[in-house]
Amino acid sequence: MTAENRPQRVRVTAPSRPGSAPPVFPVARELDEQSEVGEVFLSSLIRSQLRLALVVAGGFGLILLGVPLLLAAVPEIGELAAFGIPVPWLLLGLGVYPLVIVSGALYVRSANRNESRFQDLLDDA
Amino acid sequence: MDWEVSAGVGYAALAAVTAATLLIGAYGLRISRTTSDFYVASRTVKPWWNASAIGGEYLSAASFLGIAGLVLVSGADALWFPIGYTAGYLMLLLFVAAPLRRSGAYTVPDFARARLESLPARRVTSLLVVAVGWLYIVPQLHGAALTVSLTTGLPGWVGSAAVVVIVCLSVLSGGMRSITFVQAFQYWLKLAALAVPVLFILFRLGAEGTSWTGNGAAFASGLDPVMADSIYRNVSLSIALLCGTLGLPHVLVRFYTNPDGVSARRTTLIVLGLLSVFYVFPTLYGILGRIYLPELAVEGNADATVLLLPAQIFDGAAGDLLAACVTAGAFAAFLSTSSGLIVSLAGVISQELFRGSVRGFRAGTLLAGAVPLGLALLTNTQALAGSVGMVFAFTASTLCPLLLLGIWWRRLTAAGAVAGMLTGALLCGGAIVAGGVLSLSGAAVPVWLEQPAAWTVPAAFAVTVGASLRGAGVVPAGTARFLARLHTPERRVSR
Repeated sequence: MTAENRPQRVRVTAPSRPGSAPPVFPVARELDEQSEVGEVFLSSLIRSQLRLALVVAGGFGLILLGVPLLLAAVPEIGELAAFGIPVPWLLLGLGVYPLVIVSGALYVRSANRNESRFQDLLDDA
Repeated sequence: MDWEVSAGVGYAALAAVTAATLLIGAYGLRISRTTSDFYVASRTVKPWWNASAIGGEYLSAASFLGIAGLVLVSGADALWFPIGYTAGYLMLLLFVAAPLRRSGAYTVPDFARARLESLPARRVTSLLVVAVGWLYIVPQLHGAALTVSLTTGLPGWVGSAAVVVIVCLSVLSGGMRSITFVQAFQYWLKLAALAVPVLFILFRLGAEGTSWTGNGAAFASGLDPVMADSIYRNVSLSIALLCGTLGLPHVLVRFYTNPDGVSARRTTLIVLGLLSVFYVFPTLYGILGRIYLPELAVEGNADATVLLLPAQIFDGAAGDLLAACVTAGAFAAFLSTSSGLIVSLAGVISQELFRGSVRGFRAGTLLAGAVPLGLALLTNTQALAGSVGMVFAFTASTLCPLLLLGIWWRRLTAAGAVAGMLTGALLCGGAIVAGGVLSLSGAAVPVWLEQPAAWTVPAAFAVTVGASLRGAGVVPAGTARFLARLHTPERRVSR
């Protein structure tokens, strides 16, 4: 049987690894016991993840909103063209998509980093 | 002007797609056994498979046909649709992907039940999910009717009925797992079906020396009505699309096929890439259509742009072949989105009415398909992208607050959530109905009725938050534990 795939209750009778490392509390058990430390870490994690999501969404939204605002403010841009295609069409029809992907990729990296920091904190607790 | 593509071509294309779908579905039959398999493909689907399947389901008639039609009619304004569809998926990634996967529930109503510890909340959610699903299937069936009647000359109802029958057969035999294979295949089919003809068209025009944009005439905004309330319209539409994706049933069910939260994120990111690549192509069709098929805008048949453009540019066998290509892709679009919707609806219906057995799932499948077929036959085709946009607005006003607040806010109560959902449903549904009535009677529809999301979505959020804070109901006892489960990374010692 293997305990690798799901957090199990760990019987803390002896160090599970050689080298006298302290036994690792599985995340689920820590939070199951609703200990104060666990609660604090969790609230902090949720807040960080929400803040990250809002920042990415907001940043993306602002840039996206910026395009029509820019076009309204400086109509001459509508006259510019590259490869025979007007700039507004290029931005809205093509340029948006790399923006979406980059936003998503940045988010995923940061979110995963938040979570692994959270796990480290619990391990040390 | 003669609109008909050679009927033989149409039949061949439709038959090929149908056969492929049923064959791949049958292959999945060998693998599915238990109820769990039926529902969520045993959570063993790899990210690229899953992402392709999501893309396959998500790209519906609106994406395949509707966008090109809108670009033909409205020009650059129409580009907000594909942007909205894609950005909506980004919102999904940011706010919903990992937590929803970790919730462990099979369907959105299950999530409501688990999070709010309330059976009435689950019932209301189920009702809304089924309503949304049915409303979303109807445009797919309309699109099928258009495609079949245009390419084979058969009456429209044959197309709608064919989609429902094929999908139900496929689902009943293999459940979710076979659907995954089918959907994954169909994304790539749809992409190729759009890309190949348009690339041929561009090469041909390039070889002739003709500017494919008509020397810039395609972009002339003389074709576009510049409305004073165009800004409101775009903002409201964007809100609908951004927030509406969060609640689409066939989208959310796919999260449960990931092994954990981290892979759910990765899958969603891949989907963003797949969608981005795809949406370039309908836009190209729309631009070309402005030059080569401008009469479609006047006749109100703009959704046929994609279907008719290849035959317009190429004559004879080449035109037939390319027309067959897009026809196959269009039909694949209707099949795949309807499949995804019917599967997710069948899950919800069977949970509510039949206690979630395999037999119940099958009964749910039939119900999930029959009702929208009836609705589609009774109603007329509207602009595909527009009617889909309305469904997004409805979802944004009802399921989006439930999900967002349920995942991120501790103080949500069951009564508050239900109040918010019902408010959103009444306001948005009322606006849609009022708009429909007005337009039927020939009056002009005010833009705030046509695009209600800008006020119905905030209203729904406000009611949900306000009611929860004002003490309607109590905060569920298990909230802290449930939120912990949503946001805590699964332990992976092997990392």
